[in-house]
Amino acid sequence: MKARMLATHVALPVLAIVAASAHARAADFDWMKFKGKTVTFLANNNPVSQALLTYKADFEKLTGMTLKVDGYQEQQMRQRLVTVMNANSDEVDVYMTLPSREGEQFAAAGWYADLTAMAKNDVAKDYESAGLSQALLKAATFGGKLTSMPMNLEGPIFYYRTDIFKKCGLDAPKTIKDVEAAAEKIKACDSSVTPFVSRGLKPAVAYTFSNMLHNIGGSYIANGKSNLCSAKGKEALDTYSRLLRDFGPPGVVNYSFQQISALYRGGRAAMAFESSNELRTVMEGGARLKDTGLLPFPAGEAGQVPTTIGWGMAVSSHSKQPDAAWYFVQWATSPEVQKKMALQGIAPPRPSVANDPEYRKWIDEEPVRKEWQAALDVLATKGSSEVGYPIVANPQSREFIGQAVQDLILKQKPIDQACADADKALDALIALN
Amino acid sequence: MTDAANTDRWIRWLNTLQLVIAGALIMAPTVWMVLSSFKPSFEVTAYPPTLMFSPTLENYVELTKTTPFLSYALNSLVVTVGSTALGLVFGIPAAFAVSWTRISWPAILTLAARMAPGTLFLLPWYVMFRQIGMIGSYTALILSHAVITLPIVIWVLLPSFDAIPRSVFEAAQVDGCSVTRILWRIAMPLVASGIAVSAILAFVFSWNYFLFALVLSNGDTKTLIAAAFNFIGEGSTQWGALMAAATLIALPPLVLAALVQRWLVSGLTLGAVKG
Amino acid sequence: MSDTAAPLTQDRQKLEMAALSAPAVVFTVAMIAFPVAYTIWLGFQTFSQTGKQSFAGLANYSKLISDYEFWHGLWVTIALFVLSLVLQLIFGVWLALVLFHAKRLPGIVRSLFISPFMMPPVVAGMMWLVILDPSLGAANYILQSFGLPPSDWLASPSWVIPTVALIDSWQWTPYVALIVLGGLQSLPPSVYEAAQIDGASPFKTFQRITLPLLLPTIVTAAILRSVDLLRFFDIIYITTQGGPGNASNTLNIYGFRVGFEFFNIGYASALMLTLTAIVFGAVLAFNRLRGAVAW
Repeated sequence: MKARMLATHVALPVLAIVAASAHARAADFDWMKFKGKTVTFLANNNPVSQALLTYKADFEKLTGMTLKVDGYQEQQMRQRLVTVMNANSDEVDVYMTLPSREGEQFAAAGWYADLTAMAKNDVAKDYESAGLSQALLKAATFGGKLTSMPMNLEGPIFYYRTDIFKKCGLDAPKTIKDVEAAAEKIKACDSSVTPFVSRGLKPAVAYTFSNMLHNIGGSYIANGKSNLCSAKGKEALDTYSRLLRDFGPPGVVNYSFQQISALYRGGRAAMAFESSNELRTVMEGGARLKDTGLLPFPAGEAGQVPTTIGWGMAVSSHSKQPDAAWYFVQWATSPEVQKKMALQGIAPPRPSVANDPEYRKWIDEEPVRKEWQAALDVLATKGSSEVGYPIVANPQSREFIGQAVQDLILKQKPIDQACADADKALDALIALN
Repeated sequence: MTDAANTDRWIRWLNTLQLVIAGALIMAPTVWMVLSSFKPSFEVTAYPPTLMFSPTLENYVELTKTTPFLSYALNSLVVTVGSTALGLVFGIPAAFAVSWTRISWPAILTLAARMAPGTLFLLPWYVMFRQIGMIGSYTALILSHAVITLPIVIWVLLPSFDAIPRSVFEAAQVDGCSVTRILWRIAMPLVASGIAVSAILAFVFSWNYFLFALVLSNGDTKTLIAAAFNFIGEGSTQWGALMAAATLIALPPLVLAALVQRWLVSGLTLGAVKG
Repeated sequence: MSDTAAPLTQDRQKLEMAALSAPAVVFTVAMIAFPVAYTIWLGFQTFSQTGKQSFAGLANYSKLISDYEFWHGLWVTIALFVLSLVLQLIFGVWLALVLFHAKRLPGIVRSLFISPFMMPPVVAGMMWLVILDPSLGAANYILQSFGLPPSDWLASPSWVIPTVALIDSWQWTPYVALIVLGGLQSLPPSVYEAAQIDGASPFKTFQRITLPLLLPTIVTAAILRSVDLLRFFDIIYITTQGGPGNASNTLNIYGFRVGFEFFNIGYASALMLTLTAIVFGAVLAFNRLRGAVAW
């Protein structure tokens, strides 16, 4: 099975065409073409959409359209979406989606409108779809169809306490081995902090574990079979669960972003491996502003293969006005809007915005922002969007990864059994593809 | 005589002690929630938990800034009051009839709607209400929430109606009263406390229920409880705002409970007709 | 029991009774007939990976019988149900009695006593998640400051069910108490007066008089709680999502995730219908009990 390596320089032929012909048609483009129409947007009420929707009035003024927003927290949004789509309802025109999670599934179910042609023909002069992260565009392309346009760029990154590292005579870790050694040393040197924390909650594990697996050089699937029991797979399972079991907080099997951020923000963890999106939460109150270092997750035998994902904007295949909906998607993912969003701390999925002087100035205001952007730059160029198995049943595959990790953290199974049980369940899922 | 007085005092003392223990256990988490809503957001998860802090209203300000809290509250109120009223109007006569005739299938039927997991209704109701163009309307929300309130009203009132001595009704019947009149004039006043309890319960359940609103409402009719979720997402977890939202959400049912205290406490109207 | 009204009015009375229940019955049927029929239909469908649906006969149900997660979920559901219900009934009746005898308690304090179930379950779940966090929470902090050993609470596969039952009981014991309190207040005071004249001790009065008279109310509370407890959802969804491992994976959580997170609507419908049947059976059983204890 294809590993989705997402180097920016690897562009799909389709996308190259997108770029080439965009300028040709731009002359006829009229933002006011759908004046008077109403577009409904089902949003995940996260910082990305919050930043975007501060400019809602701009969109309505530019296009003469009305934007109706229906915002929910991620899981509720998905619930509503599943209901709306299963009922073949045209109620929602545009929705937010995570291609790395549900992309294959939604694409297989036909819930995405194909944006390929619209991104090619129906764009304003300055849109430049080629300027969007090619990696993320590729991750949103299924069966040759472009299903969503990237809104942001995110992934798990490594947060560590520079003061504790200094106190314990440690340098910033360069490899996973360094992380393990640092955890060991911190445990001895400062017993008041938790040396290492990351996700242990079953459905949440895959997000961080995938990064570890890829850094070590493992893969989820080899020769059409689940590959967790391979040497690399076992090494990743063992390392990840050992770090959490021996150096993580008690109760780590329930940990997701809320607990990890709270623990780290409270000064009670020396290293945390958590989403780049959590920076704002972690820095709340300002206690961690000056003693935090940020890195992409340190290298394994295969170097650094960070997990890079992003929210995308998709047009519903049931929408009665996909062309008007596309106008909203286009506006929301345009360089101009993405620059404004970047200044609110949303990592831009466009290299041009990431290099924009105004954005750079904002980044330079705080050292921690600089390290954050540097880590994100690595994510943007080296990232893989593979979180869990690259199969239609991706969300369910994450269950079994999480189960194996929890079995090891809780010492409920020896590693050979944990990985074998997971492989068995996962082979059944792969067979459905 | 002194012995009895002594026992009495002991019992009263024991009861007070139990009251204090129960109160502490029950209220500590709630107090913690209310206090937390006045803490700076990041301090909510501080360890060790802070007891002394400088109170701030920033969470409440944040709340009104990030969500149209008032209009959501209004939506919630319309849906909750509507569904509670509907539950009472349908439920009181039904409970009376079930209690009188001892034919319980209507009561079980109404409860059946509560037996299925709420998620079972999402897709079918969406399909159903879309068919008649009512997605996003208050009517759809009130009807769906009445499915929750109706069985509560019926089942809470059943034992109260059961407790009325038959002789009371039989006397009225001999006087030539119709069943409806007996219910209205005799039975309902007798179960006033039960009605108060069922109304509170129905109100609370309807107020706190979010699942149906998730698919049947739209941006304009969204209920308050759906907004509370918005404070626990990745990249946007705001403990303080969540606690402030929770405090405000819990307030209306609490106020209602305090208001109907009169019926809760002095529900002993039975004494008036005994014998 | 007497249906001893004059024979002439008997028919009219039946009619009037039917008219009184009719609105509730018609409304309920209108609201649930379609969803149930639709879900039954969905339960016979499979949805292929490409979203194509086809008739599958009983495939979803035979899958269910051989699905380990289903049986495990059933066990978790029953364990949680029994444990929580017992806790809530015992403490609920106790709390009702305590409140009943505290006649001079100001109304506002009394409503604070029943406040936990007014908290949105989502918020209660979040709150307890923080309080019970083994590293961040106040619970272990308090335990340790009394020199007691800390617990892993929700994060321990063996403790997660009791802990969830405890959280649920914190929230719903006052609800049971409120229902029982309503029942207590409907009891004719004459029975107490009689007991007092006989010089019965308070405990005897409770055992011999109050408890039997309260049984219908207690069974009602049990029925209302059972319906929620067998569909246990909110708190687990917020705190553990069925974990650690699958230690708290109730049927409702499992069915929900199959449908809305793994998008297998057909199998999820089969799971949810089975769960509905289980709840229905439990309610019927309780209702027989109610008939038996009615007075």
